[in-house]
Amino acid sequence: MALGLTIIYGVIHVFNFGHGIVAVLGAYFTWFFLTRMGIGMIPSILVSCVIMFFFGLLFYKVTIRILMKKPNWEFSSIIFLLGFGIFLENIILQAFGPRVKSIPLFFEGAIEVGIIYMNWHEISLILLVIAIVVALQLFLKKSWIGQAMRAVAQQMDGARVVGIDIDRTFSLAFALAIAVTGFSGILLGTRYFMTPHIGWDWMVKGFVITVFGGLGSAPGAILGAFILGITEAIVTLYIGSLWVWPIWFGMFIVILLLRPQGLLGGRTI
Amino acid sequence: MALEVQEVDSFYGDLQVLRKVSLTVAEGEFVALLGPNGHGKSTLLKAIAGLHPPSLGSIRYRGTEIFGATAVEIVQMGLAYIPEERYLFPDMTVLENLNLGAYNPNARSRIKENLQFVFTLFPRLEERKNQKCFTLSGGESRMVAIGRGLMSGASLLLVDEPSIGLSPALKKAVFDSIKKINHERSITILMVEQEIEDALTLAGRIYMMKGGTILFERNANEVDKAEIEKAYF
Repeated sequence: MALGLTIIYGVIHVFNFGHGIVAVLGAYFTWFFLTRMGIGMIPSILVSCVIMFFFGLLFYKVTIRILMKKPNWEFSSIIFLLGFGIFLENIILQAFGPRVKSIPLFFEGAIEVGIIYMNWHEISLILLVIAIVVALQLFLKKSWIGQAMRAVAQQMDGARVVGIDIDRTFSLAFALAIAVTGFSGILLGTRYFMTPHIGWDWMVKGFVITVFGGLGSAPGAILGAFILGITEAIVTLYIGSLWVWPIWFGMFIVILLLRPQGLLGGRTI
Repeated sequence: MALEVQEVDSFYGDLQVLRKVSLTVAEGEFVALLGPNGHGKSTLLKAIAGLHPPSLGSIRYRGTEIFGATAVEIVQMGLAYIPEERYLFPDMTVLENLNLGAYNPNARSRIKENLQFVFTLFPRLEERKNQKCFTLSGGESRMVAIGRGLMSGASLLLVDEPSIGLSPALKKAVFDSIKKINHERSITILMVEQEIEDALTLAGRIYMMKGGTILFERNANEVDKAEIEKAYF
């Protein structure tokens, strides 16, 4: 979730307000393939991610690319993505109905180690997220196209000088971010229930984490998620879950006052 | 001819920066483009490299028309623009910057060989290859910029004011390296420069540019200093 936001912001410098809905869309795709087509968990997830990738590619080509040619495109893209998010939310509502759905757990059962009690499903989620983060970092550091994405993010004129196709790099970064976001939605869909509207909730959480850790910094996103996750657990345990949001936003405001670029912000991916 | 520029016009918005500029550079030649600041020299290099496409005229590289080609296509054909240092990727290492110079498919197969040449040219870069570029000094940044241009496997380098902002010792080092590139690798060079004395000893031929047009063209050993001074004032 936060990673997808980070890639889009880090490379293209657009904040995607339709992000939560994109995650929900990914989750609904997987739910659809799993329960309606019956093709099994792994194929469903893979097919969903591939569809999300091409959806991102197409979406960039027919909308964002055109917006980017206009002056003030940063602001118009934000409004456009917000509007498109609402549109997509209602499409999902029409297509799948308002009833609460969820994706089944990957694994049943739990494990107890001393005082720590974890179920296998959550362990698999953590491992999957770590794997994705490592894979993304390797991709950005080692592959030509990943290097090009970082180059474009850091110095666009320099990227043109060495012969990087800016437009192609943008479109792939956007598509990759949409696929990663869709994947995060799938994971969230197994952990929580899902409705067409849940995306806003997810997005606000993702937004707080991303800005907290530093917009455009992938390690920042992970650090932000870690700190806020622990805070959430402690607050729920000792004060009550109603206080999670107030305390989150309290911390958020303090961080913004002391370090507006976020914990690890001010650098690029 | 490595490069033939004919009657090129270029604009920034409504402002005309280049007026019917024509020049030629032969294969293996070292040509310097002189003239006061803000009179279109850098714009001409950017026009040739496809970074600021000109509006009229003809630009031929080894006989092929490249007017209207994209920057990506032009790099692939073997023409590299070496910009000022601010065009480096600040949060990447020296090595990553150099490798990205070989981004175009034609250069990737010769990455090792070209990297070796860059490191023999600038041993300092090999020492600092894992350092992030934003930590480098002005001279080192300039070396990375030149190295990155070489990594593209170009046969024609468009070098934009390589000595700007450098100490005399570093200026000499940078000029020496460009001379070596021209001599040892027979890479054709078109260089914009403010240091007239240095440019005259390095280049075989010079063009003087003012007000967006070419004032005159001379062989470097036949230059009349008074004529140059007159052009500047």
